[in-house]
Amino acid sequence: MATSTGASVIEKALLKRGLPSGGWSFFSSEQASLEATCLAGLALGSNSHGKAVSTVFFLKKSQLSDGGWPAFQGDSKAAWTTALALCTLTVLNEISIASDRALKWLLEERGKEGHWFWRWKFKTADRNVQFDPDKYGWPWISGSASWVIPTAFSIIAIKQFTVCNRTEASEKRIHLGVDMLLDRACVDGGWNSGNSIVYGVPLRPHVDATAIALLALQDEQRSELIQRSLTWLKKESAGVYSVSSLAWCILSLFVYQEPVGGLKNRLAAMLGDGRDIRNNATLATAILALKCGEMIHPFEVLR
Amino acid sequence: MKLDRRRFLGSSVGVAAAVRVAAEWVWPKHTVWYRRPRSAVAVLSAAEYSERIEALLLDGLRLFRLQVLGRSVLLKPNLVEDLPGPVNTNSTLIGAAARCFLRLGAERVVIGEGPGHQRDTELVVQAAGLKPHLAEQQIEFVDLNRDELRKVRLKANYSGLGALWLPRAVLESDFVVSMPKVKTHHWAGVTLSLKNMFGIVPGMKYGWPKNVLHWSGIHESILDICATVPIHFVIADGITAMEGNGPLQGNARQLGKIVLADDPVAADATCARLMGFDPQQVRHLSEGCHFLGNLREDRIRMLAEGVGTSMHPFSVLPEFDYLHAARI
Repeated sequence: MATSTGASVIEKALLKRGLPSGGWSFFSSEQASLEATCLAGLALGSNSHGKAVSTVFFLKKSQLSDGGWPAFQGDSKAAWTTALALCTLTVLNEISIASDRALKWLLEERGKEGHWFWRWKFKTADRNVQFDPDKYGWPWISGSASWVIPTAFSIIAIKQFTVCNRTEASEKRIHLGVDMLLDRACVDGGWNSGNSIVYGVPLRPHVDATAIALLALQDEQRSELIQRSLTWLKKESAGVYSVSSLAWCILSLFVYQEPVGGLKNRLAAMLGDGRDIRNNATLATAILALKCGEMIHPFEVLR
Repeated sequence: MKLDRRRFLGSSVGVAAAVRVAAEWVWPKHTVWYRRPRSAVAVLSAAEYSERIEALLLDGLRLFRLQVLGRSVLLKPNLVEDLPGPVNTNSTLIGAAARCFLRLGAERVVIGEGPGHQRDTELVVQAAGLKPHLAEQQIEFVDLNRDELRKVRLKANYSGLGALWLPRAVLESDFVVSMPKVKTHHWAGVTLSLKNMFGIVPGMKYGWPKNVLHWSGIHESILDICATVPIHFVIADGITAMEGNGPLQGNARQLGKIVLADDPVAADATCARLMGFDPQQVRHLSEGCHFLGNLREDRIRMLAEGVGTSMHPFSVLPEFDYLHAARI
């Protein structure tokens, strides 16, 4: 099955599931999810100017007064989805005050261990989870610690948006975030949510977290750890049986110039016409993966 | 009257205690009381996960005379990771429970879970072997990490969270069944029916893991969640349980039991006793027994079997040795 033909059928399915507000929910509810909306906007925006415009309109309308975005419509607290929204605005070529405010929010937001008291606690009294609290990134929501996926998306968003004009503050947060990712890697490479060793026992990596962390590190020096993680992801990708994880594998391996043709064919076969994939974020990620190489990669970082 | 140091200290402690009692009276920690005079528990023996479980479970459920006719039932299993070993509630038991509730007259059975570590729910559902059971009519799976959310004011105030966004599928169900895997837990000591309710807290809002609950106190968050979303029934999977460094890295432990209960505290206290633990040592049980359910053995009516006394206690991390204290 030609993957691009498959993608166009699925694009129509995803398009039909859009909400009148311009957003998408994860499933069939009326409550738009920022994650589903951003991924759908990226998947459909490259082909449809109208869809790009409506996604940008939705994002601008739902931005909070502090510059962040909530995880879903109706919530008033900014979340990690701010990074995804900034990526979306950048890729859809919408450079405006909304993006500047989002960058400001990202630069100010930090995991709870960014505070000296918690850093001290994790260094002295609470050593059950092995990590270096001096290296912090971004939380899922304010008031919690740094985790791999929000940190990775925040790094990508800042790298993309500041590629032509990077301030010292941005550079500093990128470096700190990269250091945090490298510190939280699993013992044999790869990443999970952010706990590599708990009570002295190494935990195993997850496919999607590894793929997303590698996207954030794509322009960093190819260290032995990054190489080991890439090798782990390549090996795992052969046996991944879930649409979402396989799609993230493709998106990540592609930017490392690894062959993804076989994986795309397998993904297209798993998807069929997309009807059975009820999760709109998954469907959108699958479209992005199938169209890898045919459109701007939404998470590619220019060097 | 002359106030010496001893009297001063004694008076201060007395005043502090009085203030605390008064404060709890003025600002109670919880606004709900689910505890009844007596609770019912049935401990069923099952050596393995086989087709025979369904008949066993149906017989066990009938002992409770459950009122589920025409109601919407939510089964909340413990599906955490796509890992081998006894990490997740067994799918044979989940499927059997779903069919049993339909046979008992439930209008609809929804299996809902929001895995706390693995973001790819499809991966967990497939690895847990749940897909074949979902092919049946009237049994639907809801990803609680990504369901529509509503903000709910918490009915207890141990964590200080005040309110949580919770999934519609949970809030709209008439009858919530917690289906934990019987496991030790490296933060909470044990993970049973009450701790299992962490899975209703949506990752879409609170992340993977739901770290805000850890920062607010695991036991405190458990109490607040379970006060807000009452558990109507428990089916605990203790056929193959987990001991040691649970909930992910522990060792399999063949317990050969399914615990049914109409009270989550009674269920968890019974599971803890089966594990060789003193339930009073589990903080969310010792506090939860004041309003969520019954912990004391004399308030638990055994409908089938009981808790034996000759079993070898579950192993725990050294930090949790205190769980092995003498039983009350």
